[in-house]
Amino acid sequence: MELIIAIFIGLMFSCGVYLILRRSIVKVILGIFVLSNAANLIIFLAGGITKSEVAFIPDGEQTLDPTLINDPVAQVLVIKSIVIGLGIAAYILALKYRYFEVTGTHDLDSLKNTDQR
Amino acid sequence: MILLAHILLPFTYILLALLIKKASIKSRLAVLFATFNLLWALALLPIVQIKDIIVVQVGGWAAPYGISLVADRFSVFMLIMTAIIFFLVTIYATQSVDKARRKSGHFFFTFGILMGVNGSFIAGDVFNLYVWYEVMLMSSFILMSLGGERAQMEGSIKYLILNLISALFFVSGVGLLYGNLGTLNMADLSAIISEKSDMLTHLNPALILMVVSFAIKGALVPFFFWLPASYHTPPPAVSALLAGLLTKVGIYSLIRFYTLFLYHDAPFWNQLILWMGVLSMVIGVFAASSQFDFRKILSFHIISQVGYVVIGLGFYTVSGIAAAMFFLAHNMLSKTNAFLVAGWVKRQKGTLNLKTLGEVYKESPIWGVLFFISAFSLAGLPPLSGFIGKYLIIKAGIEANYIVVALIALFVGLFTLFSMVKIWLEVFWKDVPKDRVVKIPQKKRKSQYMLTSSLIMAILIVVMGLWAQPIVTYCEQAAVDLLNPELYIDKVLNFSR
Repeated sequence: MELIIAIFIGLMFSCGVYLILRRSIVKVILGIFVLSNAANLIIFLAGGITKSEVAFIPDGEQTLDPTLINDPVAQVLVIKSIVIGLGIAAYILALKYRYFEVTGTHDLDSLKNTDQR
Repeated sequence: MILLAHILLPFTYILLALLIKKASIKSRLAVLFATFNLLWALALLPIVQIKDIIVVQVGGWAAPYGISLVADRFSVFMLIMTAIIFFLVTIYATQSVDKARRKSGHFFFTFGILMGVNGSFIAGDVFNLYVWYEVMLMSSFILMSLGGERAQMEGSIKYLILNLISALFFVSGVGLLYGNLGTLNMADLSAIISEKSDMLTHLNPALILMVVSFAIKGALVPFFFWLPASYHTPPPAVSALLAGLLTKVGIYSLIRFYTLFLYHDAPFWNQLILWMGVLSMVIGVFAASSQFDFRKILSFHIISQVGYVVIGLGFYTVSGIAAAMFFLAHNMLSKTNAFLVAGWVKRQKGTLNLKTLGEVYKESPIWGVLFFISAFSLAGLPPLSGFIGKYLIIKAGIEANYIVVALIALFVGLFTLFSMVKIWLEVFWKDVPKDRVVKIPQKKRKSQYMLTSSLIMAILIVVMGLWAQPIVTYCEQAAVDLLNPELYIDKVLNFSR
């Protein structure tokens, strides 16, 4: 299972890289989304994937056998980074919309006015 | 709980700013909170001198499980510098930034940056560091595009995309590191790595991803392209703040990582870091000398100056790291002040193109002198702070037997002087070109607060050059702490109330 997800992450990274190399700004933004999800999956995979119980200590007990549960920290981290990714996605789409209103173009090549010559 | 104030103060302002509508009250409140932040940072100084390292375990969970906030001498130094820069730029911004921007949340987001920067300086946990990075970046994205001018939009799209890629590198690195070692607390990581010396090459993929991310944030060669493409587009007060704080956070994290993790595999990392620094110095300064825009020249100089700090780290001796810290502080002051002067010139003349400017010195000698101080401090002329900074770096390089690197640093100083003299001559000295028609704003606007903040900063630059000894001593103590990660590990992991 881990191997399949690892290969899948690799595929997502290559799709993301392909997209951010495109000329259209929208596709670049989509590429960023794909890449950020690929990175989230890496964290998810870092916790290990096993069939297991949820990481709650049952009522009336003090400890929990660690072999029974999956690592909860990785899941917490991945939720946090998904939330951050969501915020960024909202902002970047708003920025794109505004950019399109100001300039009327989707083309990254028209973005060279502020570059160093 | 003492460290939490650095996060809670900006957060309180952010909450208050949501409730207030009037721009003038927002500005006054911002200055007030910036003062609090400065006082609080200064209050940490005597405490860190007694305790060596201030540790706070948030929520009361012990070190590897809870979130640790750690401040050693280096962090406190950076917190103080950040607080000074932020305080002065806030005073400047109350007059420099237009009312519409102040009303729509300029200070709201600058405090977001402050929260993120303070948080990254005291984060004791790699994932926590990433979260503070995101707080800082989100605020800077919005500040960059606030106002919605065309150039701003272009600049912020480039800034946004390249910085997001750096964040992705960082998250991937965090994931790989966690998968390998099962912990993200920096002290714990450092302890585990020092025990398992056979794992070093095994960890390098994760660490490389993180170092690339810091290098993008810190604008090192070959990852600097976002910086000169975007820093000259937002209002001057914003670019001064970003230039003063953001790249320095990347470099801070690099120094922290190097002294905690990377030094275990020194043969691999040392040369890499050193030559990255050398290339940044050289390429930054050469690119700067071909520019004809005030702020663009300064932006390229950020890259060059960051290189100096990184070679100081690359020497990896007490004097090298102390010099790097001193240089970092000097650069924050001088660079921000140069941007502040650029902001004033833009306000008076409506342009920053060197070809159309001229005779500014005749118009306002005081701003000329202020620019003179900061520019020649950047170029490293005595008795200003830049002289001490460069002297310490080059001395440390010769002592550590990196003669070639030290000579390159000297040589780069010459070209820095060249660009600074170029700005001085073109903007302040030469006659206004007859054939260029410039639209000068109708009425001269008041600028007393802008002048005050720039003046204080210039005085600090001179003071830092003349009374460098106590600061250098402090930096050396901090460098000794950094070179003994056992102390850091011990204080964080064996923390007791």
